[in-house]
Order: sequence, then structure tokens, then C-alpha cells
Amino acid sequence: MTRFQQLIAVNEARRSRRRRVVNAAMLSLTGLLTLMALVPLFWIIGYVIYRGAPVLNVNFFTQLARPVGMHGGGVLFAIEGTVVLAVLACLFAIPPGVLAAFYAARNPNTPLGIALRFSTDVLAGVPSIVMGLFIYGLVVVPMKHFSGFAGGLALSILMLPTIIRTTEEMLKLVPHTLREGSLGLGAPEWKTNLSVAFPAAFDGIITGFLLAIARATGETAPLLFTALGNERFDIGAIIQGGIQAHQSLFSIIGRIVNQPIDSLPLTLWTYAMQPYQERIDQSWGVALVLMILVLLIEIAARLWIEARKRALQG
Amino acid sequence: MSKFFRSFVFVAVAFSFLLAACGTSAVPTATEAMPATQAPAATSAPASAATPTPLAPGSVTLTGTGSTFQFPAEQAYAEFFPGVDPAVVINYTGTGSGAGKKAIIDGTVDFAGSDAVLNPDEITAGKDLQIYPFLAGATVIAYNLPSLDPKNDPKLILDGKTLADIYMGKITKWNDPAIAALNPKIASKLPAQPIFTVHRADGSGTTEIFTNALTAFSSDWTAGHGTVIDWPTDKAGTGKGGNGNPGVTAEIAKNQYSLGYVEYAYAVQNNLPFAQMVNKAGNVVTASPDSTKAAMTDFANAFTPQLTAVIVDAPGANSWPIAGYTYIIIHQTSMTDCVKAQKLVEYIHWILTNPAAVKYATDLGFIPLPNAVQQKVLDTLGKVTCSGQPVHW
Repeated sequence: MTRFQQLIAVNEARRSRRRRVVNAAMLSLTGLLTLMALVPLFWIIGYVIYRGAPVLNVNFFTQLARPVGMHGGGVLFAIEGTVVLAVLACLFAIPPGVLAAFYAARNPNTPLGIALRFSTDVLAGVPSIVMGLFIYGLVVVPMKHFSGFAGGLALSILMLPTIIRTTEEMLKLVPHTLREGSLGLGAPEWKTNLSVAFPAAFDGIITGFLLAIARATGETAPLLFTALGNERFDIGAIIQGGIQAHQSLFSIIGRIVNQPIDSLPLTLWTYAMQPYQERIDQSWGVALVLMILVLLIEIAARLWIEARKRALQG
Repeated sequence: MSKFFRSFVFVAVAFSFLLAACGTSAVPTATEAMPATQAPAATSAPASAATPTPLAPGSVTLTGTGSTFQFPAEQAYAEFFPGVDPAVVINYTGTGSGAGKKAIIDGTVDFAGSDAVLNPDEITAGKDLQIYPFLAGATVIAYNLPSLDPKNDPKLILDGKTLADIYMGKITKWNDPAIAALNPKIASKLPAQPIFTVHRADGSGTTEIFTNALTAFSSDWTAGHGTVIDWPTDKAGTGKGGNGNPGVTAEIAKNQYSLGYVEYAYAVQNNLPFAQMVNKAGNVVTASPDSTKAAMTDFANAFTPQLTAVIVDAPGANSWPIAGYTYIIIHQTSMTDCVKAQKLVEYIHWILTNPAAVKYATDLGFIPLPNAVQQKVLDTLGKVTCSGQPVHW
């Protein structure tokens, strides 16, 4: 081995050792930072469970609020309100959102397609409280009262960008050959979209819906000026009273959506602001229920998608 | 296609089950709550006798929003009024006096709650708004003086002039001669520490009451009055804001040698030590329902045509000097849904006159109207009309 070769070998060894050291250092650094990123998540979940679990009991899920100073009571009104608002928001957001996404996916470079994509991006960046104010001016003031209808509308605007963008992306992922096969066999455009493109993209689209619903159910700001809040909201009592008064199904549903309504995040916000310790404790319980509810929606949907996949394959 | 359709049906069925489940689980709650809430109904006069055909239970929702101060009382009323009139559901949300006034001017609620009176612009915008005082609250000065033993030492005593000077930044030390002269028994325990002043950071009816009082106490008070003001001590660096009563209390607890103003009901509920005051008559008084009622009686004839009154610095011998009314605001002549108008007037009448309703509020630390004032409010309530027809309770 010449002197020159020796030098190169030493250099190599030194360099490889340095590489190993740098590798180890960077790996542990990224690992540490990953852990740090996870800390808030588990901290939040852990702390909400720690503070929220003690107030959870059967009454918490089955009773209306009790006046402060009287112990107990529950948040049934908020759970019911959240479900009603989510259903309304889906009814308002999903049909136009999906149709717009179909248009954007098929006509990406037309002026309308470009305008749609641009305005969706802008809409996604608008602060959620602005949606509430928008609906306040557009619906609440002319109607002269706050309502679940207005709340659902505000949430639906919030859901639209997510629904349009995810549906569009999922439709774009459908292979061209699938569409061409369908069209080549003589199926018209609408049938190709409905029976080939849509089912192929279905799982992704549903995931988009869920993301949108999960975001909307966690929102407080758009509801402040639209749904207002209602601690006396009781679907059971409305239905019971409606049946007693021989009201039609239509007018009972009207009464459910046409009055102020509460939701879990809205209740969490109002409870946490109150100077009564029991209310503050209960607001932790509300946070826990909200977390569980969103988790349940996610899990149920994942299970459903899995089951559907299996059914399609087998 | 058929698979897609089937899954759609699945979603629809799942949702309807969900709704049905909610519905059935809620029914027992409503029925089991009935016996408890019907008890007061038996003793009080049937309020719905005026309406010819009985309305369906829960068919009239009266929506109110505004003042967070009166929220606990409204909540108690909402719990018990359906026992008097099952047709009515009361829904009150605490969004703040300002939000409440905006909502009633826009006509998006049936009534608003407010601790602040309507200013001239709001009266113009709201056209026929009428304001009804129905409860009052005292404001107290809570303090954090570690050198005082809360059990054995007498309470701190302040007078209006001294309080205004403290918030002006003119009196800066606890052992200032003005404070020592008012507190001869604990003068030796007053430390040579700077006084830290705490106030509300959010727009608040309590701030309006407190600054009204400071304005009345001292001609040296130049910072004005209102729900939000510029605090002189903030500029000097010896003052700080807290959000709501809890925020003010937290700041007082955190900063030794501090003082701040909070609602009486809140101070009582949280066992805060609060100062006694020397009132206009020169007597040392403690905040209490009686001393506040005395102040209300002093000003029973001081109501404006809008039925508002400032009740600070009351002249009576036993009157607490820092107090204010909390109001319900409704449209007096422009209501068009006469069933609602009827129920709303019955509700306000019940709040004002029903002994049980008065007791709910008193138990929460609110102070009910003295008779002289109550009669005035009832007279005005009698002037409510709907579509031109008078509405009676």
C-alpha cells in the first residue's frame, strides 16, 4: 500500500465515521422532534380525559342543563343539537359540493372550472366567524330569529371547500382507462360518471365528507351569530308536544330546525366562560364528549369503508 | 349503481335510527321533570287562563340573549316557568349586554338582557324599545392584603373619594394617610406597598356601574364612565384588566397588594374578602341585599321616561353606594305575534311578582325590586301592545 492509498483509506474511514455520527445525530433529532410534535396531542387527550371523565354519568347524556346552583344536569340538548346541525350542514353542503366537484374534475381548464377552484381556495381561507356573520346578515336578520337552519347553513359553507376539493381530487385519481372503457362501450357521460367514476372514487369522497363533518362539528364561531344556543332544546319534548297537538311531521321537523339550537363546542365555550365551578367542570366533560363523538364518526366510517372494500373484492 | 344506492339507503336508515334513538331517550327526561316543575304551578295563578284554547306544551319559544350577569337568574326562570305555563320554553343565552342590545334592535330575539342602558343612538335605531329593570346587583371591592387576617382583623374600609383617587393613580401606597384615616384599627397593618388595581378587560355592565359610581364620588375622576374606559392606572403601569369576574378575581389572587371590583353575588359565592364603604351619609356600610335595596328605594323616583336609573352614591343612611339595575328590553308596540307578546308579558310579570321567582333570584345573590320600583315597572309593562291591541298578563 502506497502512502497515497493509506491516506485515502484513513480519509475514508474518518468520513464514514463522521457520516455515521451525523446519521445517528440527525435520526435522534428527528425522532425527538416527532415525539415533541406528539406530546401536545397526547397531552390534550390525556388532560381532557383527566378533567372530563369525572363529570360523565348517565344524566350527563340524558338530561337538559340545570340552573347554576342546582347540581347535576346534562348536555343532551347540545348532543342533539350537534347531530341536527351536522345533518343539516350535510344536506346543504354535500349535493352542491359533489356536483361542483364533478364539474371541476371534468372541465378543469374552462373559465368556470378555474373560477371554481380559485374561489374554493379563497373560501377555505376565510375565517369561520365571517361565515357566521355572512349568514347572520343573509338569513337571521331577514328571518327575524336565530335558528338551527341558519347554523346548518353557516357550517355547510365551512364544509364546502373540503368537500369540493377532496371529491375533485378523488375523481381525478380514477384511471382514464376506466372512463374510456365505459364510454367506449357506449355508456353516456352521465352514466359513466355515476356508475363508474363515482363508485371508484367513493371511499376517498366519503373520507372527505368525514373530514368536513369533523371540522364542522368542532366549530363554535360560525354558530355564535346563527344558532345562538339553546339550553332548553329537547327533541323528545318537541316530538311529544307535536304529537299531542296533532301536528304534521313536516311542522314538527320545522320546529326542530327553526328555533335556536346548541352544539357541543358552543356549550363548551359558554360553560367555560361562566363563573361557576360546576359549569367549568362540566365544560371539560363536554370537551370529552365532543372528542369521543368525532372519534366515533371516524371509526364508524373507517369500518364501513373497510366492510365495503371487502364486499367489493369478494 | 345498486350498491351505491344500497349504501345510500343505509345512511338514511342509520340517520333515522339515530334521530329516533335521541327522541325516545329524551322522552323520560321530560316526563320525570314534570312532577317537580308542576309543584309551583298549583300554588300560583294559572297564567295561561287569558288564552282561550290551550297551546301545545312547549309550542311557544321565547328567545332572549345578552347580559351574562343576569344569566343565572334567567336560567332558573327558564327551569321553572314551564311549570307555570307548559306552553312556553324560555331560552336565554349569555352573550354580553352589547350583543343583547344589538340583537333586540335587529329584532332577532324576543327579549334582550342588559346591565347597560340604551344610549340615544340605540333608542333611535330600536324605535319602540322599552327597558324594564327587574333585578339589581351590588358591585364590591375585593382586595388581596396578605398582612390582614381575614378572620380576626376588621374588614378594609374605603370611601368614594379614596377609591376614585386609587383608580386615578393619586393614591399609590396602601399606607397612604387617606386609607389609614379610614381604617384606624388596622392602620399599623397597612403595608408601604404600591396598590395594584384590577379592572374588567371586557366590555361590561359592571364597569359601567363602577365608573358611574367613581364619577359620582369625585370631581377629580376624569376618565369618564361606560362599559369600557381608558384606565389611568393602566398608563402608570399599576393596573391590569381581567376577563369577566373570574379574570378579575384571578388577577387579584395572583397579585399581592391588589384590589379590584367584582359583582357582589360572585364575591359571596367565591368567599372573596371585600371592603366596606363609607356612603354619602357618612356611615360605614357593607354590601348586602338590604343595603342595595335601600339604595334602590332612595332612587325610586329617579327613573327616566325609559325607566332607567343610575343608583350609585345613594344618599340614604344605610345605602350601598355602588349598585346598578339589570334590565330586560322588549319591543313595546311593534310585536306582531300576539301569542308570543302575551306570553312574554306574562313571563316578565311572573319574574317581577311571583314570590317563588323572586326567591330563585335572591338565592343566587340578586336583589329584587323594592315595592315602589316594582309598581312603576308594572305600570309600564301594562302599556305593551300587539298589533294595536293592549296585552294583559
